[in-house]
Amino acid sequence: MSALDFVVLIGSMLGIAIYGIWRTRDRRSLNAYLHGDGQTPWFAIGLSVMATQASAITFLSTPGQGYLGGLGFVQIYFGVPIALIIIAVFFLPIFRRLNVYTAYEFLGRRFDAKTRLLGAALFLVQRGLGAGLTIYAPAIVLTTVFGWPLDLTIICSGLLVIIYTVAGGSDAVTVTQKYQIGIIFAGMVTAFCLLIAKLPSGLTFTDTFALAGGFQKLNAVNFSTDIHERYTFWSGLLGGTFLMLSYFGTDQSQVQRYISGSSLREGRLGLMFNAVFKIPMQFSILLLGVLIFVFYQFEPPPLFFNPASSQYLAEHNSGEQWQAFENNFQKLHNQTRQQLENWLNARHSGDESGAKSAFAAASAAHQQGEQLREKAAKTLQAANPGTTANDADYVFITFILRQLPHGVIGLLVAAFFAAALSSKSAELNALGSSTTIDFYRHLIKRDATDAACVAASKWFTAFWGLVAIVFALYAHLVENLIQAVNILGSIFYGVMLGLFVVAFFVRRVGGTAVFWAAVAAQSLVFALYFNLTISYLWYPLIGCATCVLLSLIIQTALDSNGKPTPALPAL
Amino acid sequence: MKHPAATEPSARESEETGLPFFRSWKSVYLFVLGSFVLWIALLIALTELFA
Repeated sequence: MSALDFVVLIGSMLGIAIYGIWRTRDRRSLNAYLHGDGQTPWFAIGLSVMATQASAITFLSTPGQGYLGGLGFVQIYFGVPIALIIIAVFFLPIFRRLNVYTAYEFLGRRFDAKTRLLGAALFLVQRGLGAGLTIYAPAIVLTTVFGWPLDLTIICSGLLVIIYTVAGGSDAVTVTQKYQIGIIFAGMVTAFCLLIAKLPSGLTFTDTFALAGGFQKLNAVNFSTDIHERYTFWSGLLGGTFLMLSYFGTDQSQVQRYISGSSLREGRLGLMFNAVFKIPMQFSILLLGVLIFVFYQFEPPPLFFNPASSQYLAEHNSGEQWQAFENNFQKLHNQTRQQLENWLNARHSGDESGAKSAFAAASAAHQQGEQLREKAAKTLQAANPGTTANDADYVFITFILRQLPHGVIGLLVAAFFAAALSSKSAELNALGSSTTIDFYRHLIKRDATDAACVAASKWFTAFWGLVAIVFALYAHLVENLIQAVNILGSIFYGVMLGLFVVAFFVRRVGGTAVFWAAVAAQSLVFALYFNLTISYLWYPLIGCATCVLLSLIIQTALDSNGKPTPALPAL
Repeated sequence: MKHPAATEPSARESEETGLPFFRSWKSVYLFVLGSFVLWIALLIALTELFA
């Protein structure tokens, strides 16, 4: 990175943080600190919800997913529109009518204190662990590529987000997210335009899509009913709906965003904004990866995009073996490129059979290149079992560094940090709010004044920020961290959703029944996770359905034992 | 403790969208579902056309 890139990166990150602190300097009441000033318009809510969900790894890793696996990953978002409509119709009006600070406060009013604490505890455990990853994941990628010190990057970015989130509360999160997502979009659109400009001049729009489709990169929808396949239309639509309903409807980091609107209308429109634009946004990011794949059919790609893998092989393997891998890979790439140029010429001259045979030859050479890459990856793993050639996270950043001009590099690295900070600030704000409202004010100091609650909320937000930094500093000790935290979320979300589904739709069930049903359902999900190999997208559905079903059974048993359901408050 | 500045949504607030072409929330949700179906159709077409 050049001095210009550093100026763009540091200037934009510090500028947004300072502006956020200045704009929210007068938020002193508990309502203003946790809910905002009540003036947030729907557009800001929509961007805030979007920025909270899209972390840095979304923008770093998703193009890599598109490069390696094509568009199929977009199916995970098929549940978003349905889930957001359900939340806008059923969840949001009740959250607003009860004027709750946290989603779990609603559980307390509908059921009892123990169910509220169970919901809040499930949230704190999974989000508290996930918060460390939000900082760690982009930091490990960027420091590997740039050679920055990892610990310093984690501490600096962690402290920056703590400072402005503690200072301004919920409004600081919303205000800064608006500008952070502006930088993210500016960076991604710039990268998209420059990438298209860098594709070979003879390659038309349809040529590009035909090439990508020929290499199976445009298989966006898969109707397979195999439950073990991770991304299919059915797992996206059914499992994805439950996953997204759980995330947007019960995770305080999202609930806090859309209940902060000035009216029900603003919250609903903010959610609908995401319901319309989430799939196109993810599709565009994946398409960026597919276009990078097309670009690297005409430009030499590295054997490994992860520089740590290449460096390890170069340093620890014999020079001859490493050189052989490199030379053979480049030879196969040249063959692929040559055949694709033949395919293009034949296609443009109307020679269909010539085009077909040229593409088959290109595909065969490409396949051999991929086999060679796999062989090199196995050699790497055999030499050092702790190292993996995990390329997906490094494809986009490698393209940025090697192909884009200075200034734009700084803008895109700023976009990655902006995404990390925007998710992180919403998470810290939610963790601080839930600890204050559901534990401190509910259990420790029931007569706490608003001023004491604001002070406590600031301390808890800072505490969770420091926990996240410490977790991120030691995150490298946990194997397969990203996968572990994703799976952790899907394991807990189902039961959390089950609690809310019973609360909203099953009026006859009381607190005791749903509490024990949730405990049993959570145990069942744990047992299934350790004994089945199904896609993690199904666990929210299983957890939710089990919780609802068991709560009905337990309530029936309680009723038959002569323990009537307590009178439920009107919602 | 009662929250300060509690905002009770009125019936009017629940019904009006304030959007020029979508008077009711039902029409907003139908539009969202329609755009979702359109995206699915486009993605299926993309898969089928270039596979």
